[in-house]
Amino acid sequence: MFRAMNTTTALIERSSPDGHQEARRQLLYELVSGASGLALVGFMWGHMFLVSSILTGARGFDWVEETLQDYYLAQPTVFVVIVIFLVHAAMASRKIPAQLRERRRMLALARQLRNVTGAIPGLAPGDPRLHPHVESLLWIWQVRSGMLILVLGSFHIVLLSLDALTPLFGARTGIEAASTFARVQGGLWPVYAVLLLCVEFHAAVGLYRLAVKWGAGSHLSRTTLWRLALVLFWTFLGLGVVALAVLAGVLPPPLTFLVGS
Amino acid sequence: MIEPRHEASGRKLRFEIFRYNPVDPSSHPHMDTFELGETPYMTLFIALHRIREEQDPSLQFDFSCRSAVCGSCGLLINGRPGLACHTRTADLPDTIRLHPLPVFKLIGDLSVDTGSWFRQMAQRVESWIHEKVPFDPKAQEARMDDDLARAIYEGERCIECGCCVASCGVANVRPQFVGPAGMNRIARFMMDPRDERTDSEWFDVVSSDEGVFGCVGLMACHDICPKGLPLLEVYAYLRRKMLAKVMTPLAREAEPSKRQSSKM
Repeated sequence: MFRAMNTTTALIERSSPDGHQEARRQLLYELVSGASGLALVGFMWGHMFLVSSILTGARGFDWVEETLQDYYLAQPTVFVVIVIFLVHAAMASRKIPAQLRERRRMLALARQLRNVTGAIPGLAPGDPRLHPHVESLLWIWQVRSGMLILVLGSFHIVLLSLDALTPLFGARTGIEAASTFARVQGGLWPVYAVLLLCVEFHAAVGLYRLAVKWGAGSHLSRTTLWRLALVLFWTFLGLGVVALAVLAGVLPPPLTFLVGS
Repeated sequence: MIEPRHEASGRKLRFEIFRYNPVDPSSHPHMDTFELGETPYMTLFIALHRIREEQDPSLQFDFSCRSAVCGSCGLLINGRPGLACHTRTADLPDTIRLHPLPVFKLIGDLSVDTGSWFRQMAQRVESWIHEKVPFDPKAQEARMDDDLARAIYEGERCIECGCCVASCGVANVRPQFVGPAGMNRIARFMMDPRDERTDSEWFDVVSSDEGVFGCVGLMACHDICPKGLPLLEVYAYLRRKMLAKVMTPLAREAEPSKRQSSKM
């Protein structure tokens, strides 16, 4: 049998009648943290396509929004996403060390490994192990971007929930192109730029890590998974930057011909 | 094969080496600098011996086999864990910084006690075949599938150098974590059909934050392992195995033995 550490705390915890229950709980935490992340990535992709309706101009954007609102797709989504968002924050953050000293140790280690090229004889050329190790540092940035998303994303969710559920902003209940333009151009564009970068980075690296953690050794190699993550990162970042540029008034909507003028 | 990054053309190498002797009260942790002319096919093992013989006989470091089998000479090379005997100076820049492996107890200078760590790990994991029937020396040994035998051997190739543990962010901050080498050992016995510990027994302890779910997936252990062990695959195997355990209907939990081959 594998023996757990015999600290008094651990022994007290294990004096509860069912160790099996605790093991199931740990597995559940891990599954929920991964699955909630996966669900949020899926939501963000859909979200990005919906926001991109701004590329067809204010009319297209409003039409998409009104449709979602009329069929009661937008309102429940708000609540579901808030719940998953908070659950993911709680579950995924459980592995971040609590002490600053421990975090500094992990950061120092990650930086050290990032700076040195591997030199393990006998590996085939192109093996990721011959390159500097980046995944440890990527995790640190995942934590940092996650923290920023928690702050900026919460702000965004509150604002947009008020949009979607109350007539507080704009002419009617629901998200509107006019008030969105005003908001972004009125000074919120840096907030959205940072949030966009954080979300796309966090999602791409998170997906890559999730795939490696559960699927290493199966069909797709780590190199392939990493390339896939990069493609997703740049695709959605690119789309997001264009949509944000349109909202900021820097770029005229390029696809207005799709909805007519 | 990797092409050496620098020709061994009489470079002057600068070694910055961590020095500290815990049993000497006047000693304090610091870095000492040594210079050495590079020779063809020089490894860190050769360089350290030359420094000790020609410049400072008090320099402490571990070695034994000089061929990446004994696992004694693990150390931090410019911050990256590796084996001294396995690392050619031609692959390194002109300045080479050497530190002892973190996590382990320091013996002195570059020498650490990996033995105690691996012993406690082996005892925690109970790193031996658990049989529930008495051993019969006359019986023919049970046959094993070739692929399975190879997969088990892959895990057995671990030389206990401690590089994976030193590179693991979690092991660096949480001593309870069983670590990559420990996980590798667990997977090796879980795969072995001769070991009769059931999935249920394993589940109760491996599915914990001292076990497989303590891992954050930094992947450094896999990237650093000087023997190229597939540690990422070991972790994925254990995760999937834990998940499969819960998915298995309760009825099958009652099985007395797990004599069925499982592959990585």
